[in-house]
Amino acid sequence: MATDSDSESEVFEITDFTTASEWERFVSRVEEVLNDWKLIGNSAGNFSPEKGAYTSGTWGEKSQDIHFADFKFCITHYFLIQECEKDDEKDKFEEDTFPLAIQDLMCMNNDFPPRAHCLVRWYGIREFVVITPGSNCEAIISESKCNLLLSSISISLANSGCQIPMLVQVQQKWRRMYAGECQGQGVRTDFEMVHLRKVPSQYYHVSGLLDIFKSKIGCPLSSLPQVNIAIRFTYILQDWQQHSWPQQPPDFDTLLGGEVGGVEFGKLPFGACEEPVSELHLATTWPHLTEGIVVDNDVYSDLDPLQAPHWSVKVRTAENPQCLLGDLLTEFFKLCCRKESIEEILGKGLTEDEGKEINDIGSALSKLTEPATTVPISKMSVANMVHSARKHIRRHRRIDESPLNTDVLNSVLLYLFPDAAVERTPENSKNKTAQANSCGKMEQDKNSDYNLFLQLKSAPIDSLTYRLALCVCLVNYYHGGLRAVAHLWQEFVLELRYRWENNYLICGLAGGPPDLRCCLLHQKLQMINCCIERKKARDEARKVLEGSEKKVSRMSSGYLKSLSVPESATVMSTGSISTKEVSPGKSWDSWSDSEDEFFECLSDQGESEAPPADEEKDGSKSKAEGRLHPYNNMTLLNSSEPLYVPITQEPAPMTEDLLEEQSEVLAKLGTSAEGSHLRARMQSACLLSDMESFKAANPGCVLEDFVRWYSPRDYVEEEVVHKKDNTVLKGKLSARMMIPGNMWVEAWQTARVTPARRQRRLFDDTKEAEKVLHYLTMQKPADLTCHLLPCIIHSTILKLKEEESVEDIPSIKKNIQQAICQASKLLHPTIQDYKKLEDFINQLIAMETVITQARSLKAKFSISESEKRDDTDELKKFVTSLLEDPEVEVIGAGQGSTGRIIYRLFINAQKAALLTPKDEDFVHDRKTTGANNRVPDFPSPAGREILLRARVPRPAPYSKPLPQRLFCVLMREEFRLAGAFSSDTSFF
Amino acid sequence: MEEDILTTLKILIIGESGVGKSSLLLRFTDDTFDPEQAATIGVDFKVKTISVDGNKAKLAIWDTAGQERFRTLTPSYYRGAQGVILVYDVTRRETFTKLDNWLNELETYCTRNDLVKMLVGNKIDKENHELDRAEGLKFARKHSMLFIEASAKTRDGVQCAFEELVEKIIQTPGLWQNENHGRGVQLTDEDAGGGTCGGYCSLV
Ligand SMILES: Nc1nc2c(ncn2[C@@H]2O[C@H](COP(=O)(O)OP(=O)(O)OP(=O)(O)O)[C@@H](O)[C@H]2O)c(=O)[nH]1
Ligand SMILES: [Mg+2]
Repeated sequence: MATDSDSESEVFEITDFTTASEWERFVSRVEEVLNDWKLIGNSAGNFSPEKGAYTSGTWGEKSQDIHFADFKFCITHYFLIQECEKDDEKDKFEEDTFPLAIQDLMCMNNDFPPRAHCLVRWYGIREFVVITPGSNCEAIISESKCNLLLSSISISLANSGCQIPMLVQVQQKWRRMYAGECQGQGVRTDFEMVHLRKVPSQYYHVSGLLDIFKSKIGCPLSSLPQVNIAIRFTYILQDWQQHSWPQQPPDFDTLLGGEVGGVEFGKLPFGACEEPVSELHLATTWPHLTEGIVVDNDVYSDLDPLQAPHWSVKVRTAENPQCLLGDLLTEFFKLCCRKESIEEILGKGLTEDEGKEINDIGSALSKLTEPATTVPISKMSVANMVHSARKHIRRHRRIDESPLNTDVLNSVLLYLFPDAAVERTPENSKNKTAQANSCGKMEQDKNSDYNLFLQLKSAPIDSLTYRLALCVCLVNYYHGGLRAVAHLWQEFVLELRYRWENNYLICGLAGGPPDLRCCLLHQKLQMINCCIERKKARDEARKVLEGSEKKVSRMSSGYLKSLSVPESATVMSTGSISTKEVSPGKSWDSWSDSEDEFFECLSDQGESEAPPADEEKDGSKSKAEGRLHPYNNMTLLNSSEPLYVPITQEPAPMTEDLLEEQSEVLAKLGTSAEGSHLRARMQSACLLSDMESFKAANPGCVLEDFVRWYSPRDYVEEEVVHKKDNTVLKGKLSARMMIPGNMWVEAWQTARVTPARRQRRLFDDTKEAEKVLHYLTMQKPADLTCHLLPCIIHSTILKLKEEESVEDIPSIKKNIQQAICQASKLLHPTIQDYKKLEDFINQLIAMETVITQARSLKAKFSISESEKRDDTDELKKFVTSLLEDPEVEVIGAGQGSTGRIIYRLFINAQKAALLTPKDEDFVHDRKTTGANNRVPDFPSPAGREILLRARVPRPAPYSKPLPQRLFCVLMREEFRLAGAFSSDTSFF
Repeated sequence: MEEDILTTLKILIIGESGVGKSSLLLRFTDDTFDPEQAATIGVDFKVKTISVDGNKAKLAIWDTAGQERFRTLTPSYYRGAQGVILVYDVTRRETFTKLDNWLNELETYCTRNDLVKMLVGNKIDKENHELDRAEGLKFARKHSMLFIEASAKTRDGVQCAFEELVEKIIQTPGLWQNENHGRGVQLTDEDAGGGTCGGYCSLV
């Protein structure tokens, strides 16, 4: 055979592979892979893996497809990644040391690893190669095929000199049957396996298994060397008895019925609805036994789990247990994908209602007259207020058939608009709102979590927007889903309109212009408030004026001060610009936004607005209008009259979408000189308005006066030496202000003498409010959900934080921090990535699950925060480890305090299973599982693992003593013997 | 040409009125100096494509008015900026002392905290300096900013200032790309293998 040819001789020989069989090709392919992966050569060394290294270390794996004819196999190399191979030491060991894998068979440092590849568990090897049939290929069942494969690997190993065990998977995959071998210098280990559905009765105990082991070794010596035995029994606890779940979901209706303001409405629910920890696995281990020390046969057993020297526990958690917060989030997030508009959702119900109306009119009437339907808060103005806003909808949709129950709706609205509960006078509402806003702010500054909204671009936690988010979320989950959300939103917008139309400020929003750091919806709401504020100021001004007109026929200068125009009115801005088409030829006036409305909406007093040039000279003091206060004791340049700061128009508030629009328009003008000029002109409405106000407040002023107030740096004062040595301060405009045709000069010339109150409004509150309300009306539930998502994520994170702090789970603490970072990235871009968000939400849900698991475990291990016992800390640590580690050792095994709790859990479950009445004191009356007729403390083990090891010379008495190992698994429906038997290949 | 543009960066120029913001920008974009530069009203805007380390970047630069009365709305232009140039006038101390206010405003209105800040001391061509380089440096270090002295008039440091800023932005991960690095929170290590050859399993 070609591959067999020994290239010892130097003779030129033609090696012919043309006739190589499929089998030969397969063998050489395997060798090639071993070569590629550098698995050939001496693997010997003499260090055994450290205790627990198989669990704490990382395992590597590498795989590749190979073919046998057209049958696909997958060859995989599994290995424990070891930090430093002690190379220098390695050299010391002579050729006759065994391959590492064969030494591993005897190593006791990693028996029963909690999580490992089954071959690691059965054979204790740190490295191996497995050949398995390709994923869609049939299993290797026939004996001849198995043998063919086994001889293939045998030849590959021999040819390549690879000392790593190689196994093939045979039989159906689920049976996890493997066979293979490992070759070293003068030694070979065969890996064999037996797998049955039932445990034959003679092998049910250690003594029977020892018999197999011995007969399998076929010891040539007269007395077999001592067999080392390690045993592990695993018990499963499923019945938690008095510690069982489930947590009842909160009864929402009672919560709502509670206090006015629905405090509970602001809280997200939390916790699992079903037991999140499904099983507890207790492994009792006897790591070091020898034959003769332990008796375990068909009539008697020494193996009392309570006496086992080593206990370890792991828990099996329920897969995706239903958790309240998680469900709530998921349902909320689902809304993001709904396409329907509010009209489509509610409109349908509307027509249905009309059809039914006639039939049901009787019952509807009785419903209406029932006292129950008149909400308990009917006395309060929210009901009236809401009622007025809702009237036209009610016409079509009867109360009892509205998607959202009226009681719930009223509670929600009251929670959102708590100020409505107070009897409403404009004064009252104003004070209330101001108060609510300011005190909110003070608390916030102290709160370290407060800044979270900046990171998430959500809204402050006590803001209306944030509360709305919670309500939408809860209403969606508990009170009718999409339709209810649509209904709530419709009512919400109607309420906003009502407030706009009736001059009631919206509470729960910080005053001032929209906060661009918050979500757009929040900004929009703030915008409405800005509009309401302006409108109110105008209306009040008008009222005062009407009142004063009766008494005073002629206005005194500066009367406006008494009109409670806020100080902030003096702060100027560039004003809003028209985002309509832009043509360079437009007049100054056309850049301001409004049509015919004036800033303070006062009727013209009949004063002629003469062009400024005529007025400058003869402007008399008495004509001054709209003065705020004198400016720094300055006087006008051309007279001795003090220079007054005028009352000016307030800046136009803007939401981020408006700004976006505006900057787009500005950017579109391009970068040319004309573009720049036009841009300046578009933004100068405000400058012009200021100039006009200034002129009105300072009759006889000049541009220099204006600049001295408005841009002092552009008025340069120099000491000029006059004749006769007296220096005089002489001022002039800066160079840039004197450029001919510059915007400032141009604007000054155009500006008329008009006080702010009679100017055209820079900010058209009516138009802006209508625009916002229209925008809100058009939002679909899906849009609303997207708007509110940052707030919901925000509150979810806060909720997780709060719940975690009770349980104190370090990993969750860390995860929450990571989640915040991630959320701030995910929530910022305008286009939200749905898939990433979904993944992110699932991570939040996973955190809830872990917290509920911790909570459940604490309950089971009787850890209560209130009564601290000596062992509380130990138990706490134990519970934390259970959630983080695959398996946790029980300190003191069955005799320690943790062990006793576990023991009691088993006893209770056992007794319940056998329907004996529970006896709390039973724990003191400990019984062994020996022969008595009482209920056994433990159920029969779910699994028993028995590991037998011995060093025995094979096949001849004069062979080297070699590692022999048999791993036995006994379960209800599985009996497995995994044997590794070594024999001396040089002397036999 | 267009396709090798790496990205568009939004840059903002802020600082007191008259410190020479518009002049610096004009020097950078058109390489001219106009002593009769009008005081800016609202915001102005210029575009320039530059190449840094072989990467082309299109800069959209917003020049804001330093004049107090225009300031109420300019913060809105801070949104989404990747870089900001803070300018003071080395011959006028009060333009330097006001920098704190500008930084505050930036902090409040800027949507990203990883934005790159550069401090420019302008008008070094003039004689009567009220501030020396060391003071500027100290301030910049305290607030983790880039720092350079420049003159829009003599073109000293102007090109360099913009280039440094852009380079820094490009080096700052996540600032010019929107994709998120860093995979999600990993809560549970998934069971490897699974199914076929045993995978990693426990007894029961
Ligand atoms: N000597 C000198 N003068 C400068 C320099 N830069 C700007 N100037 C002058 O300083 C004055 C103000 O410059 P601008 O560029 O308009 O200042 P700005 O910061 O844009 O001012 P605002 O638009 O009001 O915020 C102009 O007269 C410029 O000519 C410089 O580097 N050196
Ligand atoms: Mg400027």
